[in-house]
Amino acid sequence: MSKKEDLEVYWNKINYAFPILNGTLYSDCTNEEYEEIQEMIVSLGIQIRIRDLILIHIEKYLRQHVVPSFWSKFIKSDVEVKGFQLFKTAVSDLYESVTNFSGILHKLTLLNNSCSDNMPIFGEKDVLLGFKQLLRATLLAQLPLEFQYIIYFFYKVSFNVFDNEYENSDMGDDVMCSGCWNDYSDCNCAYIVKVFHDTNRKLMELQLLERLAGQVLTNFIQMRIESHIQKLCTGTFDVSHIAFLENWLDTTVMSWLTRIYCAGSSKPPPDDKNVQNAISKFKQKLSYYLYHSYTKLRIDQLFNIIIEYPDSQPAVDDIKLCLDKTDLRPTLCKNLQTALETRLLHPGVNTSEILTAYVSTIRTLRHLDPSGVILETVTKPVRNYLRNREDTVRSVVSSLTEDGAGSELAEELAKFAGEGDDENDKEDLWDEWNPDPVDADPKVNSGDRKASDIISMLVNVYGSKELFVNEYRTLLADRLLAQSVINTEKEIRYLELLKLRFGESQLHFCEVMLKDVSDSKRINALIHQDNNFEASNDKITCNGMILSAQFWPPFKDESLELPVIIKQLLENYTKSFEALKGNRTLSWIPHLGNVNIEIEIGVKKLELTVSPFNATLIMHFQDKPEWSLDELHQVMKVPVTILRRKITYWQSMGLITEKSTDYFVLVDGSDANKSNVSTNQVQEMICEDEEAESVMASAHDQREGELQVFWSYIVGMLTNLDSLPLDRIHQMLKMFASQAPGTECSLQELRQFLDTKVRTHQLVLQGGMYKLPKT
Amino acid sequence: MAQNINPHYASSSNPAKQNEDTIKLKDNHAVSKRLQKELMELMRCADKGISAFPESENLFKWIGTINGPHDTVYAGHKYKLSLEFPNSYPYAPPVVKFLTPCFHPNVDTCGLICLDILKDKWTALYDVRTVLLSIQSLLGEPNTQSPLNQQASYLWPNQAAYKKYLDEFYNKHKDS
Repeated sequence: MSKKEDLEVYWNKINYAFPILNGTLYSDCTNEEYEEIQEMIVSLGIQIRIRDLILIHIEKYLRQHVVPSFWSKFIKSDVEVKGFQLFKTAVSDLYESVTNFSGILHKLTLLNNSCSDNMPIFGEKDVLLGFKQLLRATLLAQLPLEFQYIIYFFYKVSFNVFDNEYENSDMGDDVMCSGCWNDYSDCNCAYIVKVFHDTNRKLMELQLLERLAGQVLTNFIQMRIESHIQKLCTGTFDVSHIAFLENWLDTTVMSWLTRIYCAGSSKPPPDDKNVQNAISKFKQKLSYYLYHSYTKLRIDQLFNIIIEYPDSQPAVDDIKLCLDKTDLRPTLCKNLQTALETRLLHPGVNTSEILTAYVSTIRTLRHLDPSGVILETVTKPVRNYLRNREDTVRSVVSSLTEDGAGSELAEELAKFAGEGDDENDKEDLWDEWNPDPVDADPKVNSGDRKASDIISMLVNVYGSKELFVNEYRTLLADRLLAQSVINTEKEIRYLELLKLRFGESQLHFCEVMLKDVSDSKRINALIHQDNNFEASNDKITCNGMILSAQFWPPFKDESLELPVIIKQLLENYTKSFEALKGNRTLSWIPHLGNVNIEIEIGVKKLELTVSPFNATLIMHFQDKPEWSLDELHQVMKVPVTILRRKITYWQSMGLITEKSTDYFVLVDGSDANKSNVSTNQVQEMICEDEEAESVMASAHDQREGELQVFWSYIVGMLTNLDSLPLDRIHQMLKMFASQAPGTECSLQELRQFLDTKVRTHQLVLQGGMYKLPKT
Repeated sequence: MAQNINPHYASSSNPAKQNEDTIKLKDNHAVSKRLQKELMELMRCADKGISAFPESENLFKWIGTINGPHDTVYAGHKYKLSLEFPNSYPYAPPVVKFLTPCFHPNVDTCGLICLDILKDKWTALYDVRTVLLSIQSLLGEPNTQSPLNQQASYLWPNQAAYKKYLDEFYNKHKDS
């Protein structure tokens, strides 16, 4: 035999054993025959070369036949069931062709063993593993763009059935099977489940499950988790869901996963570490996702949760728990801040509502984050906004001293009084100390942050107690003057509570005010015992309220000339008072107080409590039934505009009509009866309107008054020193006017004040220097 | 005369030299307080026609302004004065000078004023306000017996001529 012929025989034999070299897989070569051939190869010493050649051919075959035929089934299709079938066929075909390789692979393993060069095959030691690696590499190298569609359909269909089978059992009434959307008669759920598990098993064996379906699977389960959370948690804040959700994840979701990974059995095979690892990894991923999406949902609802606090406390507890497991803290701050800004901080919301929400926020976030850092960050815009609202102080003060619905602050105030000081206990808690969170402002002492309670946080909106105390004083004055019968006991109680918080000295004025009220009662009783006084007037009873002018807030300046009889009466009262208290006298504020009047017109009788102003008005009509506005202005010494406004009260009562412009006539008895009843409601409305108006000068007016003190200094300065720049004026005021009543005046405030003076031509601003105008 | 002596100095007439400084300091404080109070009073009352205010941060140097009294030849004129308070104020009078040149029998060309209450008739009961009011009334009622300005004193009886000269003088000097 020639050498050439020898070679041909060898080659044919090798080809016989490894038909892959010719591009086919089927060989009739038996094991015994192969052993011979292998011996031959080994004796020729070309085993390594042959092995590598075969590997190259296998790779070529995979690349040219197996993989394209697999991917060719991944056609984008709109029909779910078609997608399901396609994927199933693709996988089983792939599985089949891979199984066809087993003969070759077996031989190759033997061949490899004879090589003894320990060269890794595609990175793996074992031929089988190397082959799988090769298969995966080849597959993924040709990954088409839209491969996920079909997988998505497959899992969608399967999940439907799957869900149906393991989760719901009470859907029986439907004609359609909720699993496969077919009639029950030809439901093919069982088939689908079988195919599903089969496919999963094959993919698992090929180690392709995670790579091909992992993404889709994860998406699916995440979607399920999300929809489950949505279904479970929307709108209910009064139940804690987290334990329930954890349980759901552990049982339901994990059983799905196990079934997918283990081809239908609900327990992972105890010996297969791979599967167990994969499952536990998956579980970690999913439980993080669960917390994450639950917290996200809750954060989106946080505003509502806050509004419903403390009913929503379980939800807050959940968030608190989840915040530790996720990194959503910054998101929470940002979202809540935006929510507050869009839902709370605009002109359409009442100040009282903002305050309620603010208090709620403080409480909730206190609970959520005891360090107070989130609270500080989130409520900053709220505080800034409240500072700009004019009626904030008034709202806070009134809700502090109001009982009944919505006055949480009053409760809070009482609670503070009850608490006393538990400061000493804090010393013992040193071993529970925690550092501040990372996002804390290092400039702020953490103790301060924790210690401040709700009321002090509200007070701190302005930064000064004085403003609050002043506003309280005004409010108290209003209340004391508005009521004819005064419940001093209640006021004293509140005053005591406020004293605990703001200190005795600040509220001294208020104490005097309350004392004035009770003193007045006593003095009235004494004066009424005075025979001189009683003798001089038997028609009208008069009770004075004697206020110590120094201690009451300034009153609005209004003039009112009372009717002669009343003036006489008050003079008598003053005389009696002077007799009673030597060296003291009274100066009356005629426009304050209440008058009880009885009006008789025709057969109609009216009993009313009105302001002195209205009483005076109607009394003038008693003497003379027709008045022009000018005449009224003459006798009452009140500006015409105010008169016109006030007279509407009696017009609405149907007692006075405007005959011609600015000319008013008393309605006589017969007319009055007709028009009266219908206007009763209007009258109440107007009454309330009057009542709501405060008799005190507003804080703004008061401040203006204080600045007025500076004005005389400024005039003095400019008369003598001709012209000065703003900062010099400010400096001089600080030096020389600091003893004057009225607190500090900021540069900003001074500039505003001077600007108003410039506008009213009391000052001239020239080249940055203020000057007095030349006279 | 007795009330013109600072009781502080009187009672401690022979203390050790080093003590005097501290007393002065303490005194200084009392004087500041008194001046501050006077300023407040002056600002509060705001008399027509007179005014005064510290010139700078120094409370001991004031600038005053006097409007000429209405029914006199000085009507419509406005005079600036400087007031300097000694450390012994109010037991010693302030030094008052016209800053705006003033043609007047009792005011010399340097602005010095001849007024008894600023010299020997001073008592601690006077204050800035009364001093300024006195000077204001002095404008209308000069003491021609002891003139500092002979020309003015000579011209005074002829009010028309006096007014004519005065107005010229004032208009020439008011901005200096």
